[in-house]
Amino acid sequence: MEPRVLSGDQKLVERCLQGDDTAWEAVVNSYGKRIYNLGYRYTSRREEAEDLTQEILVRVYQNLKSYRAESGSLQNWILRVARNLIIDHYRQVRRYPQAGGSEELETMNIHDDKVPNPQRAFEQVEASRFLRDGLQSLSPELKEAIILRDLEGLAYNEMAELLSVPEGTVKSRINRGRLELAKLLIKRRSQRAM
Amino acid sequence: MDCSKVEQWLSEYMESSLPPGDMEGVKKHLETCPGCSALLAEMQSVLALCHRYPSLEMDPDLTERILLRTSGRPRTLSFKERFIQSFVRPVLTPRFAVGASLATLFLILMVNLMIPRMSEAVSTLSSRGLLGVVDQGVRGLYGEALKAYETKNEWQAQFGRFRTNAWNSLRSIKEQMNEPVEGRKKSQEGEPRKIAPKEKSSALWLWSA
Repeated sequence: MEPRVLSGDQKLVERCLQGDDTAWEAVVNSYGKRIYNLGYRYTSRREEAEDLTQEILVRVYQNLKSYRAESGSLQNWILRVARNLIIDHYRQVRRYPQAGGSEELETMNIHDDKVPNPQRAFEQVEASRFLRDGLQSLSPELKEAIILRDLEGLAYNEMAELLSVPEGTVKSRINRGRLELAKLLIKRRSQRAM
Repeated sequence: MDCSKVEQWLSEYMESSLPPGDMEGVKKHLETCPGCSALLAEMQSVLALCHRYPSLEMDPDLTERILLRTSGRPRTLSFKERFIQSFVRPVLTPRFAVGASLATLFLILMVNLMIPRMSEAVSTLSSRGLLGVVDQGVRGLYGEALKAYETKNEWQAQFGRFRTNAWNSLRSIKEQMNEPVEGRKKSQEGEPRKIAPKEKSSALWLWSA
């Protein structure tokens, strides 16, 4: 019988399963930030994003045994777990809206030294608000496509694998999402001009 | 090529991922259609906004909570964190702050005592005055050094006297201790040893009585 050749991801998972805590810590450090940001993009709330990150990584730890390198990269497998939990959370929140709590705004990285500080700060807040509100106005599918592609920088094939849809569908969703946001921006500008 | 078709391809046109023929077709349409070109410009703005959207850093406490909840092992600290925990954090305690304040206060007092008042020299703002103050300071320091040297010599002399006295005392004690031992030796050599008469046993004493 030939010895099994393990991929990098599979080796890491094997080490985790053998009780190597440093390997698991490496997984948390590699994917924690991405999951946290993904949670934040969906919820716009830091606390909720933190809770989601914790739940997702606990779920990943409990289900490491079911990971198979043949079926895709560890990153996509973890993102799939994350996506499922985030969607569950989204449905739950939509069904039982939470009282209180405010959505936080992260200011954009707009570097323009010619613009005075208060104006720049105002523009940053406005840009953040526009993007957050724009994303909230999109349908879940389009929102997801924009988050994964334009905010998280996933490739088309990675998205297709993660969402279990053809690449053509991914491209179409991204285009529709961007178009809707662009139309929203035009509408907003015309309202301001009036 | 009509507007609806161009709209479908705008994203791919932006990313230059359309086949060359389609790229050319969209480009030609955009040159003639202000609506679609405006839409493209807005899409580019949206994309720029998305790329500037900040990426959040994960709180180390969150990582710690996750690790404790899963593997049960706390996270490994980075070199910087270890340095802060080992050296900086102990320093940033109220006890250290009080100690540092007292030490600074003591240092200021010492400097004030040792160095003559510079304010006088500064108030005159003349090189002669400054030289005078510096000279005074040097003389003062020289005087202090001389005093310290004399004190040291005095202590050295006192210690020498003490050491001599101590040696003499020890020698006399030793001599006194040696004397009876020699006398006892002489008595053992010259005179026959006297054997003390044995006391009568209690039974013999009763008999004689």
